[in-house]
Amino acid sequence: MADTTQHGVAVELSGIRKRYTDHEVLRGVDLNIEPGKLVAILGQSGTGKSVLLRQIIGLERPDAGRIVVGGVELERYLAMPPGQKPFRMAMVFQNAALLASLTVAENVSLRLREHGHQNSGEITEITRRALEQVELAGTENKLPSELSGGMRKRVAIARALAVDPELILYDEPTADLDPILTEEIGRLIGRIREARGSTQIIVTHNLPLARTLASRIAVLDQGRIAEYSTPEELGRSSNPLTREFLRAATLEMRGD
Amino acid sequence: MAREPGPLGRLGAHVLEVLQILGEATQLFVATVRLTPLAVVDRGRVAAQLVRVGTETLWIGALLSLFVGMVLVVQAAGQVKNVSQEVLGPIVGLSMTKELGPVMMAFLLAGRAGSAMAAELGSMTVYDEINALRTMDIDPVRFLVMPRFLAATLALPVLVLYSDFIGVWGGALVVAIDPVITIPVRSYFDRMLEWVKFGDFLTGLFKGVIFGMIASIVPCTFGLRTKGGTEGIASSTTAAVVWSFILILVFDFVIVRMTLR
Repeated sequence: MADTTQHGVAVELSGIRKRYTDHEVLRGVDLNIEPGKLVAILGQSGTGKSVLLRQIIGLERPDAGRIVVGGVELERYLAMPPGQKPFRMAMVFQNAALLASLTVAENVSLRLREHGHQNSGEITEITRRALEQVELAGTENKLPSELSGGMRKRVAIARALAVDPELILYDEPTADLDPILTEEIGRLIGRIREARGSTQIIVTHNLPLARTLASRIAVLDQGRIAEYSTPEELGRSSNPLTREFLRAATLEMRGD
Repeated sequence: MAREPGPLGRLGAHVLEVLQILGEATQLFVATVRLTPLAVVDRGRVAAQLVRVGTETLWIGALLSLFVGMVLVVQAAGQVKNVSQEVLGPIVGLSMTKELGPVMMAFLLAGRAGSAMAAELGSMTVYDEINALRTMDIDPVRFLVMPRFLAATLALPVLVLYSDFIGVWGGALVVAIDPVITIPVRSYFDRMLEWVKFGDFLTGLFKGVIFGMIASIVPCTFGLRTKGGTEGIASSTTAAVVWSFILILVFDFVIVRMTLR
């Protein structure tokens, strides 16, 4: 951990389709993400943003299409034994998804204890450093139920960082957080980008956050990528959904 | 617009759901049994679950067994008043070892520990904790189900012996203090030992093993298939207990029929 070399992986999605009973959520998503880039995926509720993340991390399989991460077909990557995988992926869930019966330190070090090759002392040190990075040193022995929502999110980020992943996926990392905590999480994600160079994909409704952090922003509309551009280009977009997002974000910032 | 299914359609849907649940439970059972050799590595987690099962069942199990043994003697004494109270020992001994001990303890385990398993795994499923494990390359079956399965399967036969012992002594207590019962306690035990064979204990223990598997796999199956929020967790927990009770009784009948000579 704490290796500051740039070690992100490329993510290539082509023709991703996903249907649940009679509703097709993803209708052919194509997206190429360069190594080390931070990409935000924007879209209205129910447009399949979280579904797309679940396909990338392998929690669900697409009905059609191809996912290649770090030059490896996702299916092949998922079939590899944990110790032989050429890179690591981690996901920060919307509700943090910390194991309620484990302490903060046990949650952060879980993957290392199960699959890592480090000894107990090294794991303790990695855990301490991961918690320091998210400014939660000293909470090692607390249970998730003793933490605030923002702290739980940061522990979830520390859990992801502990395995030094080349790809980190965030599902609505600032959902249900007040503006101050949202800014804190934003700063934290920005620091991770600078320090580690991992590829990061953030699903969010928060346009200001996306424009501040992301190298590129993908707008998901009706199961397809409607727009994929830099934050600057997004401001000049003629796409109706993007315009609507920009208008809503401006109103929110004005407090209307 | 899709037409609402009629009574036959709804019945068919229920049958399909029952088959799906049975299929999922069987699949989970096979996957769990395959992972049991890893219990040596995961012994800490198995031991933790054993302690949980024990603390959730021991006291209430003792109370249940004591009163069931006592009630058995009083009920049987009324039935055999025109024959001989000498049969009280064999009645209590055989009932406890072959039937009441295993079934009662299995119900207790399913109701207490099994419902907790369904609720815990259900909550973990709903709140993405199971998915978080998967993203960390941690197999939820090995991490969560196998220790619970082994703990219940190992604990239930021990609980059956424990229940047999307390039930038999509960009966002995009534024989000793109830003025309606005229046989001495020694005679109660002598007749019991004449009738209760080692094979009867083994039948009870075998039932304990099978019921322990049911009382853990069924709740884990329901826990892992939980959908929806708090309501989904509640309905999964209830369904897990009801299904466990039904399957325990079905397997009880099958085992009794198979061991009938």
